[in-house]
Amino acid sequence: MRSFITTMRPRLYRYSTMRLSHVSFRYRWRDPLIIEDADAELSPGDVIELTGANGAGKSTLLRLLAGLARPTAGTITGRPAVVGFAPDRFPAGQPFTVTQYLRHMSRVRGGAPWEPWAERLALSHLLGLPLGELSKGSAHKVGLVQALMAEPGLLILDEPFAGLDADTREALPAIATEVAAGGGIVIASDHQAGLRALHGVRHWSMIAGRLKESTSDTPAPEAEPAATGAATTARDAPSAAAARRSGPPGGPSERRHATVAVTLPAGDVQRFLARMHGEGFQAREIEESG
Amino acid sequence: MIALVAFRLAAYVRSHRVYQALLLALALLAILYGSRAPKGEETSVLTDGAVLIVPVLAWAARSLLDTEPDRQREMSAIQAGSRGKEVAAGLVAAFATCAGLAAIALGWALLLGVSATPPPGVLVAVIALHALAALAGTALGALTSRAIMRSPAVSITALLLGFLATLLLSTSPLYWLTVPLIPWMRAANAGDLLGRFPELAALSLVWCLIGLAGYVWRRLRTS
Repeated sequence: MRSFITTMRPRLYRYSTMRLSHVSFRYRWRDPLIIEDADAELSPGDVIELTGANGAGKSTLLRLLAGLARPTAGTITGRPAVVGFAPDRFPAGQPFTVTQYLRHMSRVRGGAPWEPWAERLALSHLLGLPLGELSKGSAHKVGLVQALMAEPGLLILDEPFAGLDADTREALPAIATEVAAGGGIVIASDHQAGLRALHGVRHWSMIAGRLKESTSDTPAPEAEPAATGAATTARDAPSAAAARRSGPPGGPSERRHATVAVTLPAGDVQRFLARMHGEGFQAREIEESG
Repeated sequence: MIALVAFRLAAYVRSHRVYQALLLALALLAILYGSRAPKGEETSVLTDGAVLIVPVLAWAARSLLDTEPDRQREMSAIQAGSRGKEVAAGLVAAFATCAGLAAIALGWALLLGVSATPPPGVLVAVIALHALAALAGTALGALTSRAIMRSPAVSITALLLGFLATLLLSTSPLYWLTVPLIPWMRAANAGDLLGRFPELAALSLVWCLIGLAGYVWRRLRTS
């Protein structure tokens, strides 16, 4: 088992805890508030599932988190430097093929590698097609690739499972897990409960403009106590030991995988990595602190 | 930001929207310079060309900025790292387009519109006027683009009325309240373009920058 992100670019995520303090939002003066007095904290390693009825303010909250809109009142602080945003409807009416579009986006991102993501999301056979000829699901994948290519510290997915084929629907939770395991924050508005199988996922709901966090968790049937505790630790302190599990609940054990962060003296890093490699594990150095 | 400018320009060309402005510009130039101006009228002919190309340049700038879907504009802002960079990239791409069209206009005028090459001083002033025309077109096009005016009917009406209002106001003693297009032409006709150039160029630059600042302010305020 290997971490896909690990093999792509051995670069640090920019760890950052985001805070929403008394955030309210309305589009125009005298309009009713779309979001009212939202308070929340998003820590590195969090995977958040955002649910709510149509028009409850989910997309508006995601726009606020992405920095596309400013709160009418309150503050949002600590937004990671690199944000990836996959919209619910990808704007396919653009005069590019998939390759041309993704190349342009890669250049805007400073040369981020997009090809591995296109391959992983089963987009390779569509690269020569004009964006306007893609199906809704395929266009949605293009939106996902452009959001993922730059290793975002904050990954925002607006209805990511809508219109996707079964293989990609299965791949997305693992991708979310990997981004979180690398220190990123993942938040997805989701009507289809596609992330619910993930262990340790936080559940937010928008109800009439109010943001509420559900304290109940959906435990993975095979979750072990040690992994559970480590996952919680990761949410609170990314430099501490952390673990995330993904994969189909109850599925074959060989398909499950976990990413574990270990803190140890800098002088022991090479020896530790060599030992891990010797035992057949994928391991890499993430950060030197202090 | 350069990559985002290239993306905007590529979309403008690949969507074929560029040909709308280009054909309009070529039609205007064919009419303006259908026959060569007599010797000695180079300054006024070249200055008139710089003024009359402004609405075409504004159309081109508006068209370029409107090529990108609204949702893509948001994604571009996130990709670039901030809304400000996305706005700046759009303006740079629009100005590059306007400058290209203005260069074509000036080249056509020098090759086919006049009977003699103007003196070096006048030539430099005329080149500067075409650059200012590109800037004025960028500002007018940006202020009437979809991000500012949602309705296409309102937008194109505002663009044309904006240009006409600039012309009318600049015929009055209050010409300093706008880009002084008519005073450019009057100064050139009177053979005083070089003498009044510093004043008129400064006024033009200031109003163009005010227009662009208004666009940036609106874009950032409404984001």
